[in-house]
Amino acid sequence: MRHYELMVILDPDLEERTVAPSLDKFLNVVRKGGGAVENVDIWGRRRLAYEINKKAEGIYAVVDMMAEPDVAKELDRQLNLNEAVLRTKLMRPGAR
Amino acid sequence: MAKPPIRKPKKKQNPLKTAKVEHVDYKDTALLRKFISDRGKIRARRVTGVSVQQQREIARAVKNAREMALLPYSSSAR
Repeated sequence: MRHYELMVILDPDLEERTVAPSLDKFLNVVRKGGGAVENVDIWGRRRLAYEINKKAEGIYAVVDMMAEPDVAKELDRQLNLNEAVLRTKLMRPGAR
Repeated sequence: MAKPPIRKPKKKQNPLKTAKVEHVDYKDTALLRKFISDRGKIRARRVTGVSVQQQREIARAVKNAREMALLPYSSSAR
């Protein structure tokens, strides 16, 4: 079990109210895989430093979780398959 | 024979130490902006005055932040 930090940039055309529930649906993979979601921080809409998929804005969210490596990788894969997700970054904060 | 005057390089203040930062996080763009030029390039160590290890950490954080569009790869200022 490892501590992961996941940052997601979501499509700015999404309603900001729907972000938390839809993100939570993705995180079910972690819960089913025996992990635990510790914290979900939705930064909200933010200007991108450069355009991604012709979008100048994005909805940022940061998730802290404990999970097995396979589970974390699977979550990252599923997020990348979704069209509402512009970009993800999966990191292990403690790893150096 | 007159010795050429030895210029003592001015010791720079370590900006990370003064800011009391132990871990450089790629999400902390306000901090990272101090270490990039106005064109978006990472400032050299002789300019920033941090240690080798810290410079490496800063560079990695800046690059991660760029990937997530928190910082620009290059800004077209001029």
